Amino acid sequence: MHVLDQDLLAYEPEMGRRSFLKAGCALVALTIISPPRLLAAETAGPATPVVPLVPGVARERIEGRTKVTGQKIYARDFHARHLGWGAAQCYAMYLPALTTRYAFLNLNLSQLPPDAQPVRVVLGNELGSSLPAAPKSLNAEQAEVTAANSSGSFRQPIEGSYDLIVRPGSAANYLGQPVALLVFDSLATYRAARRAMQFRDKNFQIYSPDESQPDDLATPAGTPWPELVHFVKYFDGAENFSFATVDPDAYQADLAKYRALVADSMSLNSDFISADVVVDTQAMDPMFMEPECGLAFYDKTNTRLSVLIGTQSPDHDVASIAAMYSKADSPLKVSEVVLHSVYPGGGFGGRDCSPFSMLLALTAAYSDGKPVQLMYDRFEQFRYGLKRPASQIRGTLVADNDMKLQAIRAQIDFNGGGTRNLSPYVAGLAALCVGGAYEIPAADIAAQSIHSREITGGSQRGFGGPEAFFAIETALDDIAIHQGWDPMALRRANLATRHTRTVVGGIINQDLRLAEVMDAAEAHPLWANRARIKADHLERGQVYGTGLALSMQAYGTAGDGMVAAVEIDPDGRINVRSNAVDMGNGSATTLGVVIGPILGANAQSVEMGSSKVFKATGLSARALPADWGNPHWTQGEVMSSSACLTGLHQVHTVQQTALALMHGSILPVARTIWGRTGIQLADIAWNGDMLVLRDGTRPAIGRGDLARAIYARGMPYGAVGHAYIQGSWVEADFDTPGGTIHLQLDGLSYQMPNTETPLFRPRRNTIPPPIAAQNAYRYAWAPCANVIGLTIDPTTGLVCIENVVSVLNAGRILVPELVSGQSQGGIAMAIGYTLLEDMPDGMAGAADGTWNLDRYRVPLGADVPLRAIYQPGQRGQELICLPETPGDAGAGRGIAEAVMCAVAPAISNALRDAVNKRFTSLPITPAKIMKGLAS
Amino acid sequence: MSLVFYVNGVIQTLDARRGPELLIDYLHDELDLSGTKFGCGIGVCRACTVSARIPPDTAPVPVISCSTTLDMIDGAQITTIEGLRLPDRLRPIQEAFLRHFAFQCGYCTPGFVMAAQIFLDGLTDTGTLPADLDAAIEAAVGSHICRCSGYVRYYTAIRETAENIVFRGD
Repeated sequence: MHVLDQDLLAYEPEMGRRSFLKAGCALVALTIISPPRLLAAETAGPATPVVPLVPGVARERIEGRTKVTGQKIYARDFHARHLGWGAAQCYAMYLPALTTRYAFLNLNLSQLPPDAQPVRVVLGNELGSSLPAAPKSLNAEQAEVTAANSSGSFRQPIEGSYDLIVRPGSAANYLGQPVALLVFDSLATYRAARRAMQFRDKNFQIYSPDESQPDDLATPAGTPWPELVHFVKYFDGAENFSFATVDPDAYQADLAKYRALVADSMSLNSDFISADVVVDTQAMDPMFMEPECGLAFYDKTNTRLSVLIGTQSPDHDVASIAAMYSKADSPLKVSEVVLHSVYPGGGFGGRDCSPFSMLLALTAAYSDGKPVQLMYDRFEQFRYGLKRPASQIRGTLVADNDMKLQAIRAQIDFNGGGTRNLSPYVAGLAALCVGGAYEIPAADIAAQSIHSREITGGSQRGFGGPEAFFAIETALDDIAIHQGWDPMALRRANLATRHTRTVVGGIINQDLRLAEVMDAAEAHPLWANRARIKADHLERGQVYGTGLALSMQAYGTAGDGMVAAVEIDPDGRINVRSNAVDMGNGSATTLGVVIGPILGANAQSVEMGSSKVFKATGLSARALPADWGNPHWTQGEVMSSSACLTGLHQVHTVQQTALALMHGSILPVARTIWGRTGIQLADIAWNGDMLVLRDGTRPAIGRGDLARAIYARGMPYGAVGHAYIQGSWVEADFDTPGGTIHLQLDGLSYQMPNTETPLFRPRRNTIPPPIAAQNAYRYAWAPCANVIGLTIDPTTGLVCIENVVSVLNAGRILVPELVSGQSQGGIAMAIGYTLLEDMPDGMAGAADGTWNLDRYRVPLGADVPLRAIYQPGQRGQELICLPETPGDAGAGRGIAEAVMCAVAPAISNALRDAVNKRFTSLPITPAKIMKGLAS
Repeated sequence: MSLVFYVNGVIQTLDARRGPELLIDYLHDELDLSGTKFGCGIGVCRACTVSARIPPDTAPVPVISCSTTLDMIDGAQITTIEGLRLPDRLRPIQEAFLRHFAFQCGYCTPGFVMAAQIFLDGLTDTGTLPADLDAAIEAAVGSHICRCSGYVRYYTAIRETAENIVFRGD
């Protein structure tokens, strides 16, 4: 039996969370089926572990064994038969628009040989009526509102409001928009058609000879997608104005006045030193290794539409699909949408609210009741997939003669492409990050994502941070060089600290330890000896430079909710479930071990992307009254997923939930067995698999015996915890079988033997998040400094990154290998972003169908320093993590993007040091360098 | 006329008219061997790497299955990631990749495993000196693309395995 068939025996019966989407008078059920539960490393492979397991320590990555043996299952590995949808399946192919200037008229498939003909051709005019569309939503809650209030059309389910498939007679609204859907009834026919059509698109599409601009319905091209962000901060003695501190109405009313004051403050003092910010960054393909692929099937009998996707946003996808099929002119009656969420082969944000889910779901309406597969090849992935949007940043950074930064002004424009995706939110975070890691009293920062005809821009690793830190960190160096100041000293003079106000005006309520970060960077030989290293290279005829950059990436959003379940089975093994969607199993690995010190053992299984957990909390963001006095209400249910949300957010939630299980179940059972009612958590400890009483007056109890007693006595076998953070964690008291416990959770339920219904524990004495944090925009920070040494060949413009030293405040290091792995991955991706990866706009770029990895150059091993330590004369990358302090309170930080954000500016600053030229247009290609050197 | 080749030791006899078909499609569609991954389809990313002994040569070489047609492997012995499986243990390079947390999403991992195994199998024959090891590793896997991990851990694991097995004789 093939591994897929084996796996699906466990996969298929697992039913997911069900919720409902109101669509006019109808009700559409939404069901998400989670990926298969992951067995911990020690139980999931052919090898016998030889190293004893240590609670809290990860020996290898969960699911690692399936990956090194080729057994790991991705979306691309599925066939309809694996899902019980039948032995036969169809194959779908979209044909993309080749222009936005001329109207698409029709297809001409006469050149397709007979063995390559589709059984179904769908053009845009077949999709539905032309009723106005509803605004697109980016999460399930909004989708419900959308569908309930919508009279929109099946063919235009998304904001813009553009056709899913261009209607004949109309010009495409953007590149990457399909003009036709072809359905094939066999794999051979599909492949024959692909061979016949690839690189010959023009032979099969007919366009009007006359120019015909596309219609813009809601947001014309050239105008910004909502929402725009404008942060003006002016703190001058008694006159204080900022987004975070002023009433929203007053903020808008006084914005112009304070913009003028900021402008005055920048221009009136002739002693001020200013640096222009002129930054351009290119569109970038996430280039995850597995091109998007999925299956769709409409079960007519049960009016159920099922899709299988590797996605970062299952909630968004399932809601969007349901909203589309709930339109009055839908070709299918859909009463339930089932989304099988499977592990993606990479994501980096490119699978977050991807248009792929809608296009996949659409195929089911035209496959004659058969399951259908949509699988992009790499050329198609480049054509259709979300991009990191290109950006342009213009502005000014001002300092005084005492090295103190006085003000920053910036206009940040992202090229959002043809549909509104996450790019407006990317712009928003860039606006915050462009203030850098510094105290700046005045700011005037506007950011927007602009609608264009390009392939849609979404989010990508860093979420606006790489662009923003590139801007301020290169400008800082320009000021330092202009004044003859040490770049380290200039940064030191302005470092943000706890209580600093960001450019939004929100107060930083964390110990950033930026001074310690700078201490470590400054003391490192790569920086301390930079002059000598440069001279040594010069003696060998090599041009060398050293660059420094600092970042303070914000992670999380303005307020974040998350959920976890921790269970003990009758044999004493621990299982963890989380709503978080994991891509590389790093989050699963981390969550599986961080409960080890609390429960005496690492998890034997971790279920990620679990869609059922939240429902068990008994909470809702829609519960009334909507305030913290209502124990059923929470301000935020579950946030979207990203690797940077593991270290703090998800870990906190699973640990607090484990503590609730320990206190509410294991502790009272131990009291009973020992006959000591007064025992508290502080009185007990784990010694291997044995729970011991610290005073030694009772015999130790095995975890298996405790588990059996839990089940026998009807005690909770699992805890489900929900946490919410906005500036600080919501805290509350909860009554448990072990007594009252104070937790940093806002929701807690227990799972009881012999019943499906969780036991809801209403919170009491709730401490809500601080009011001051409500408009702070972000509240969690991951500071990092990069020092980069590089060589440049002035005859070719080729750059070689010789060494990277990263100093990171990661809080508690939970799994060291995962922290440094994130750093190394971020450095490689950033090197590609800074030096290699380039993609022109329009039909010169990915939209023309000829782009693949032969043209889009991503970093290879030779492009990155491969040794994990700095040694003079060798290429290496060294990660220095600040030692944990009591101020960390045992918490980690989300660092998945932190190191990446300070790579591009450090490279540009190193180039400036090497050749005395400033490069602020990414990627810094050899051609740009040669042009710069010649100027 | 027939095409004859072996996949993981099992003979495959096909009508020669199937010669233009791609090896990766054959592995996926006919044999359900989905461990070999499709990445770029043009032989650049190397996620689809398999091992082949192609007569008259006896040494295994990496083959890019997304760009290799069946008529190109007539007479060859193909080994996929599934064919490396041992009944009771992982191979040292697989253990090393695990131990070093070499990968994240893992989609590129089968390609790295195959290329590294071929490299390790041939290391003693090539007479590679310790000082040349880094260059030899670069030659073996330097074209493979990993988007997640940044390569450091893959290279470290291969280097360590090469040193242990070949130079120390573990």
